[in-house]
Amino acid sequence: MSGPHEEALKGFIEQFNSEHENITVEPMNQGSYDDLEQKIMAAAKAKTLPTLAQAVTNVVPEYIGNDFIAPLNDFIEDPEIGLSEEELADYVDVFQQSSSWDGTFYSLPFSKSTRVLYYNSGILEEHNLEVPETWADIRNISETVTADGVVGMGFENSYESEFQAILKQLGGTYIDEASNEATFASQEGMEAMTMIKDMIDEGIARTAGEDDYMSNPFGIGDVAMYIGSSAGIPHVASAAEGNIEWSTTTFPTLDGEAATTFAGNDIVMFNQAEEAEQKAAWEFMKFLTSPEVTADWSMQSGYLPVRYSAQELPEYQSFVEENPAYAAGSQQFDAGFFIARVQGGDAVRNIILEEMELILLDEKSVEQGLTDAQERANEALQK
Amino acid sequence: MMDKPTWKSTLRAFLYLLPALLILIVFNIYPIIKSFLMSLYTDYDFYNDVVYEYGLSNFSDIFQDPNFIKAIVNTTVFVIGVVPVSIVLSLAIAIMLNSKIKALSFFRTIYFLPFVTSVVAVAIVWGWIFHSDYGLLNYFLGFFGIDPIEWLTDPTYSMPALIILSVWKGLGFNIIIFLAGLQNINKQYYLAAQVDGASAWHRFLSVTIPLLSPTMFFISIISIINAFKVFDEIFALFNGRPGPANSTLTVVYYVYQKFYEEWEFGLASAAAFVLFIIVFLFTLIQLSLGKKFVHYQ
Amino acid sequence: MVKSALSRTTIYILLSLGAVLMLLPFVWMISTSLKAPNEVMAMPPVWVPSEWKFENFTEALKVAPFDRYFINSVIVTIVSTIGELITTILAAYAFSRIQFFGRDIAFAVLLGTMMVPSEVLLIPNFVTLSNLGWIDTYSALIVPWTASVFAIFLLRQYFLGIPKELSFAAKVDGCSEFKFLWYVMAPLAKPALITVELLKVINSWNAFLWPIIVTNSQELRTLPVGLSAFTTEAGIKYELLMAASSMVIFPMLILFFIMQKYIVAGVARTGLKG
Repeated sequence: MSGPHEEALKGFIEQFNSEHENITVEPMNQGSYDDLEQKIMAAAKAKTLPTLAQAVTNVVPEYIGNDFIAPLNDFIEDPEIGLSEEELADYVDVFQQSSSWDGTFYSLPFSKSTRVLYYNSGILEEHNLEVPETWADIRNISETVTADGVVGMGFENSYESEFQAILKQLGGTYIDEASNEATFASQEGMEAMTMIKDMIDEGIARTAGEDDYMSNPFGIGDVAMYIGSSAGIPHVASAAEGNIEWSTTTFPTLDGEAATTFAGNDIVMFNQAEEAEQKAAWEFMKFLTSPEVTADWSMQSGYLPVRYSAQELPEYQSFVEENPAYAAGSQQFDAGFFIARVQGGDAVRNIILEEMELILLDEKSVEQGLTDAQERANEALQK
Repeated sequence: MMDKPTWKSTLRAFLYLLPALLILIVFNIYPIIKSFLMSLYTDYDFYNDVVYEYGLSNFSDIFQDPNFIKAIVNTTVFVIGVVPVSIVLSLAIAIMLNSKIKALSFFRTIYFLPFVTSVVAVAIVWGWIFHSDYGLLNYFLGFFGIDPIEWLTDPTYSMPALIILSVWKGLGFNIIIFLAGLQNINKQYYLAAQVDGASAWHRFLSVTIPLLSPTMFFISIISIINAFKVFDEIFALFNGRPGPANSTLTVVYYVYQKFYEEWEFGLASAAAFVLFIIVFLFTLIQLSLGKKFVHYQ
Repeated sequence: MVKSALSRTTIYILLSLGAVLMLLPFVWMISTSLKAPNEVMAMPPVWVPSEWKFENFTEALKVAPFDRYFINSVIVTIVSTIGELITTILAAYAFSRIQFFGRDIAFAVLLGTMMVPSEVLLIPNFVTLSNLGWIDTYSALIVPWTASVFAIFLLRQYFLGIPKELSFAAKVDGCSEFKFLWYVMAPLAKPALITVELLKVINSWNAFLWPIIVTNSQELRTLPVGLSAFTTEAGIKYELLMAASSMVIFPMLILFFIMQKYIVAGVARTGLKG
């Protein structure tokens, strides 16, 4: 968190503090999300955990497993300070699911994002092409527009997310949450990986590589389309300013199947705090996920609103009208799924990215790479 | 001064040492011991400081981890890539600087500049120079008909890129030490050699090299230890990743990954301990070689 | 000596070529930091920006409070340097001038710790600091760095080179040992001390991993840590990144230009006594 994001959060905290006389929320900036995770672990060790924090959804199981965080059901169901059934139902379905484990809520959604397709409208118009809807469209457009200095399609370095989505569209499973087992080296997995690899091998697609994020090459017009996080919209906007015309659309479908990953951060409550502190923390969690605040946060940060009713707010609607790039994210709530939340999820992510890199470099075949990745992932998951 | 230690002198020494020892014991020695103990934890609850079982399985685990083996290999390649190149280059430059040229301090200043700068900052600059499409390096190589190289994304070139950065960064330090060593050599030796009719090259081999051996010895020890511990450069150059396909995964980076990304504290400590042993053995070997070959004036 | 082997002109050409290579990254950094975004990515490269965008620096200052980081870096650097100066003088004196039981072993153990990669110490140190309640305080940034084996080692070597007769003379004059250390030994070792502490200043200024681990609030961050604020955000803006990098690098360059005589002489000395 830095810059505008931090300012926005500080604003919310000030508002909350002034509205709640006997509660004072003190923000502590922890740098990037990676820094945050590392510090939470270190603070847990030192018994200096904060009362609440943002947490990437994939690490929540780690926190549950180590008994750091408190279940929220008691708060949610509390008649006085809880959430009504209506209110709970107002939280976007896919986020409700990603925050609960066997019916127990351990987090509330906060800074959520999804994968959307960014496209350079200038290039599409130049070639008289429609906005792509399917993977077949992506391939056609990429073949047409790839030329000297322009690559058709781009993938972020973290394109394991796209791999998962295609895998899902093909009917495969990445990690089975129930059995804690990686199953991506399936027929479907190989098909998904081959699809990505073929495009890259043919030169009609590339990864962000040394540019770290696609927003820069896309923003200067080196890449016609790319799939990336909806949270990157502000970055794309600033990179593209004065260079290209662009917008976003929903994640491409495959044979009519839509699926796209939702990821991002939740808010969790640590269990070392005293009861009064926990109650206060709960108030703050409710506040942060209230329709007004989530809409405001979304407009300032580029994250998705986490409440259905937030999208109905007039300010939000006029905002989306003015900034149509923000529409795609919430349009695909129904196609949303989330990365399996298992202990060791981060290790699995490192493993799959490593093996996928070897596949792209032709050091391993698709089959070999995915099989190795699956084997290593399962080893990490069984620990 | 007293020549024999007594209890009184020991107490006196202790008082002098107290402030330094206090800090060093708490923040250097204790953590080393703690880390070593942690490398023996095989079943533990890190957060509540409960250890259920000690053992050596962490060590056998890391030696079976292909990434750890890769890290050792990469680290060795890095040491072999950086240390000799850096020593040869800095010696050559030092000798040139020592040949009574004008503007000596001007050149010395320039060569030394990278040493005083933040690794994080210069690695960010170099990352930009290495960029395959927009980087300066490929632009210059283009003049020689060399196709753009993907310095930071092709595993073949990521290690050379890291080595280039490290040599650039450390060159000035070595140059200055060599320069001092050279200036310290008594001119009489050269005169004597000249009278004997020795050629420049011969004088270099028979006078400069032997008399410079203590300096060379010092530089090689420091360089090797530092090269074994490389981390910041990688972290900043490859943006928090150990290079494409783990091509610049070094032992310290491996430790970092286990510690801070996977929270495998036992494995991380075991890996760190192995690194310590390697560096320690290396230093011992060098010290014993040094006794044999280093000439002191 | 090499004169006959290489002509003077060749030497100048080679040295200049090398100097250009050494300077190029800095020139490129400064040039990029003053460019407009469209010139940053231009090919062939633009060396001199058509318009000097000094506002890149103010823009960078907006993304992170570099002024605050600057003050923090200064505080941390100065205090830890002074602390190290004191502990080093005392310890080096004991190791060089006092015979005591276990001296060689103690010294060997200390030298041994130099070989341990500092990353290994982070977690235990973090725990120690939080038990002391020091996380997110200046103490955490400063205290662990107020003693250094390297500095003790260097100063001890230097002290060994100071004739012992001096201290006998002082004793005869009735000067206490402590006074002798502060008023005779330390001033005599001034060149070595300046070196050691300048190296310390450089290291302290450039430290990265430690400050990011032990501080939480932005108010306590140091300059290199602030740099990471740029790289963690998606979408890298090279012109701002270069402006920020310049801000981190410049103070040390300026210090170097002022103190270069000492730094160079000092580094040279560390090599000779090694």
